Amino acid sequence: MSERAIEIVEVTRRFGPKVAVDGVSMTVNRGEVYGLIGPNGAGKTTTFSMMCGYLRPSSGTLRVMGVDPRVDGSLKGKIGVLPQDAILPGGWKVGPLLTYWGRLGGVANPEQEARTCLERVGLIEAWDVETHALSHGMAKRTALAQALMGSPPLVLLDEPTAGLDPRIANQVRQVIRELKDQHTTVVVSSHNLQELEQLCDAAAILDRGKLAQAGTMTELTGQSAEFRVQVARGTVIIPELEALPGVTSARMEGETLLHVRFDGQAHQPEEVISRVVGHLLQTGVLILGVSRGRRLEERVLQLT
Amino acid sequence: MVWSAECRRTLRSGRVLALLALYSLFSLLVLLVVGGITRALREQLDMQIAQAGADASAASQVTEEFRKGFLGFLVGGDQAVMEALAHVPLVVVVVFKATLFFLPLYVAIMGFDQVSGEVGPRSIRYLTVRARRLSLLLGRFLSQATVLLGLVLIIDAGIFVYAWLTTPEFTLGSFAFNLLKFWLAAVVFSLSYLALTTLCSSLFRAPALSLIVNIFVLFGFWLVNLIGGFAAKDSPVAYVRYLSPSHYANGLLHPGLAEFAVSGMAYVVFTLLFLGGAIVILRERDL
Repeated sequence: MSERAIEIVEVTRRFGPKVAVDGVSMTVNRGEVYGLIGPNGAGKTTTFSMMCGYLRPSSGTLRVMGVDPRVDGSLKGKIGVLPQDAILPGGWKVGPLLTYWGRLGGVANPEQEARTCLERVGLIEAWDVETHALSHGMAKRTALAQALMGSPPLVLLDEPTAGLDPRIANQVRQVIRELKDQHTTVVVSSHNLQELEQLCDAAAILDRGKLAQAGTMTELTGQSAEFRVQVARGTVIIPELEALPGVTSARMEGETLLHVRFDGQAHQPEEVISRVVGHLLQTGVLILGVSRGRRLEERVLQLT
Repeated sequence: MVWSAECRRTLRSGRVLALLALYSLFSLLVLLVVGGITRALREQLDMQIAQAGADASAASQVTEEFRKGFLGFLVGGDQAVMEALAHVPLVVVVVFKATLFFLPLYVAIMGFDQVSGEVGPRSIRYLTVRARRLSLLLGRFLSQATVLLGLVLIIDAGIFVYAWLTTPEFTLGSFAFNLLKFWLAAVVFSLSYLALTTLCSSLFRAPALSLIVNIFVLFGFWLVNLIGGFAAKDSPVAYVRYLSPSHYANGLLHPGLAEFAVSGMAYVVFTLLFLGGAIVILRERDL
């Protein structure tokens, strides 16, 4: 079986004259937590929906867990999905609904699985609650619980923490971390870049339907090629820093922030950082802190 | 699995009771109106015959002629069907025909949101990663059909019980045979309209739009049937009535196997056509 959980090649999706996704290609490896990033209207949810078989691409090819998601029923047992804005059906209590879905998905012992998944999201007390009586947070967690049922090898989560209070959002992030520990492939679409930076191994940044950049989180945030030093006091001598082995450029961003770029291919980051910090200390510069790379947010803002 | 879950869900909801109440009230209304008119006409006939000084056999003959004339109007003058329905109280035939006329509308009200009600709020997205769209659609259709069969049986049984109690010559054997016959006819008839409702429901995201289009199509079918019926027999326009499912309704009560089979087959074709269309649309559409 392929090591790719998802392969998307030159996928385009049009809605009438509007091109929502334009020739996007990306791959998600098995066991990875992968982020889909971008501003509103970037094509995240459309891409996500094509992965789940909800939408058909206008052109291009998709393979999800080795199958074509356009084929009716092909994803059964292979993926768990938390769709954005999908309302839980009425006329059901949470427990029986999840049990029914589990049975439909071919889960062994669906009732027990439903209880386990509700416990994972901290919602076992909602077993006998009618779906229409759930609060937004409870409905979201119920939807997350159904995505986990049957322990699918691939879990797709569209805006899993949107609209949740910080405590419940943290609980959801914890569930994603647990999935990562279990080597489940997870695709997360979110606006919360700090959250994605913490959770994801890799990500794709989309902008106006096109792929702006895709890669590992280290590549996206430039962790292997740059770092910043927060200077408290002292004079930074830029030419001396640029003369150090591995350093390709150094410059001050404002009065107190030193930005250093280095050759991450030929030099280990820890060696270059130690060398620069050592030099600064020797020249009487006092340091408040060092941070590798840049925030994902900065990178996204730069690209979109 | 979808069928059993949807049946349980429907039966749990108050909707099925509301539909039963609606159907019962409508049938009761027709029953009372038809019963009242029939009684009044019979009394008037008896009075006119008595004034004319005719004997009892002549009165009975006039009543029978009136019955035949009215029955002929209801079944399109088909002698074989009239003979087959000779032992069925007139009130049953009238109520049956009236409910058959409105049954498509009732079916539309019952099932207009079976698919669009899930596509609009995107609830269907939870299902399509677990089951084939084909299974979901057939499960919904069959659950609606099951509920409909039950409701139609209850109403038909009610009409027949009323007729049995008020018509001394209506025997138990005739009661049982004709109840089964009328129920099967209603079932075959309504399944094609249920398939049409499924098709309309698969076309749109908004349930209200599905209902409006469904009703629009029903009016279209009624209109086509009427235009075809009123047109001269040798006119090409007369053939348009074959495009309306309702055109084949009388054949379902026909005693001849060939006529019954043709009508039954027509309804099967309509059902498959509508259901096939719904399957193709749901399989290809965005969710």
